[in-house]
Amino acid sequence: MRNSPAIAAAFEMTPGRYPEHTTLGLYRDVLSQALREWHVRPGQLDGLLIPPADMAADRPDVLMHERFIDELGIRSVLSETMFAGGASYALMVQRAALAIADGRAEAVLCAGAGKFPKLDLDTRRSMSKIFQPQFELPYGPTIPAMYALLATRHMAEYGTTAEQFAAVAVAARRWAMRHPQALMRPRGEIDVAAVLASPMVASPFHMLDCSVPCEGGGAILVTSGEVARRICAQPAYVRGMGEFHSHGYQSQADEFGVSIGAREAGRQAFRTSGLTPGDIDVVEIYDAFSAMPLICLEDLGFCGKGKGGALVESGAILPGGELPLNTYGGLMSFGHVGDASGLSMIVEGARQVMGVAGERQVASAATALVHCYGGMQADHGTLILAREA
Amino acid sequence: MTDPRPVPVPAASSAPYWEGAAQGRLLLPFCSDCARHFFYPRAWCPVCMGRNLVWREASGRGTVHTFSVVHAAPAVGFEGQVPYVIAVIDLAEGPRMMANLVNCAPEAARVGLPVRVVFEQRGEMRVPQFTPADGY
Ligand SMILES: [Zn+2]
Repeated sequence: MRNSPAIAAAFEMTPGRYPEHTTLGLYRDVLSQALREWHVRPGQLDGLLIPPADMAADRPDVLMHERFIDELGIRSVLSETMFAGGASYALMVQRAALAIADGRAEAVLCAGAGKFPKLDLDTRRSMSKIFQPQFELPYGPTIPAMYALLATRHMAEYGTTAEQFAAVAVAARRWAMRHPQALMRPRGEIDVAAVLASPMVASPFHMLDCSVPCEGGGAILVTSGEVARRICAQPAYVRGMGEFHSHGYQSQADEFGVSIGAREAGRQAFRTSGLTPGDIDVVEIYDAFSAMPLICLEDLGFCGKGKGGALVESGAILPGGELPLNTYGGLMSFGHVGDASGLSMIVEGARQVMGVAGERQVASAATALVHCYGGMQADHGTLILAREA
Repeated sequence: MTDPRPVPVPAASSAPYWEGAAQGRLLLPFCSDCARHFFYPRAWCPVCMGRNLVWREASGRGTVHTFSVVHAAPAVGFEGQVPYVIAVIDLAEGPRMMANLVNCAPEAARVGLPVRVVFEQRGEMRVPQFTPADGY
């Protein structure tokens, strides 16, 4: 792309509980810590992309960019409160990269923070807006059950097993053991038997097949290559981008054993980058539940359709494996930081390519693919990041 | 005690569906312009946006396309139903719809299971549900 758009800096808070903070308070922590760590002043920014605060609430705050333009005192050529659930941040990076390629912007800040709402009755009611009120809600849908519909169909079509889904959770924990901020690191490693022995939530998902709710936030700075090279030693250039919206409500998905969004967004990302799955060194895939990385790996083209179970069971996705997956521990073991969850895997993909992932650094990481989805895996965004523009 | 599960609120585009259900009939919207059923009922055909919609009674037969058994963290109003089966049904007429599998042990649920529609009282309404077809 023109002007070599790149992630120049990435920051993430330690996932956990921040009872002293409101959501806006978390945002202020994220923004002040990130800019201080990066040695960037607000006046150097010319864009701000941010999601609504409290996306799951009855009335999310949808004027977040206006609020923070004022708080940061910036004058920007690009600003928006963007919402596509967990895909919001991947799409923010794409919007920023396109504006930079177009010469309209030079330094765009993408930020997110989230409280994990207390699951009281009011919150559970307002969260149910993601379900069709007449044709889904009367049947008692839950988020784990709606994702489980894909897993069950995948098992029936391809012979995938609960052990294979569990292998994704086991690998995530192994990676989390190498991440000082990971929420589940103190719990130690787990094995397949432990996943299968944890309480069943919505078949085939056990508790350890599910991501771990917590609070936190982070920020990503997307700049032109020229600016990025002044800010960091090794930028993570945005080489490929893809987006797809496969359905609205979950019951309207065209297929259940397939992530159509991963297939279509992934195809675009590979086409725009000129790369193929064989060129990718690190993969970060949104893992609300263990089955999703397995299914998305297939649809992104990392193995044949139906071969995801064998791939994850082979050990390829573990530290030292050929296809390192969710190297920060994923939402299952790093933590699912409320509304900012879709940012964590982009931060990690960028850090791997920048060579600053510490103990968990994949030695040969010249490229990373990041895939995020939101809604009931309806909204999809794929990024391919690379050491070379 | 009253049933705490949500009662559907019909919209203009779905009123005939719910009136049919109240009479024990599963009515599907059918687009006269492109000659196909669709689901769920809405203001226009999702393929051609045509508004020449008619209601056709479905056979009520189908098979389980996929499902999940909810064991924990149930939906609001479903606390007393655990474990319950939430399923997507391939209707014989083509479209898919969500429903619970009722009168079916959770361990008997499987992809491909032949099912038939039944109607369950919910407040003043009746809600289409599916149960294993005779012989299973
Ligand atoms: Zn039509």
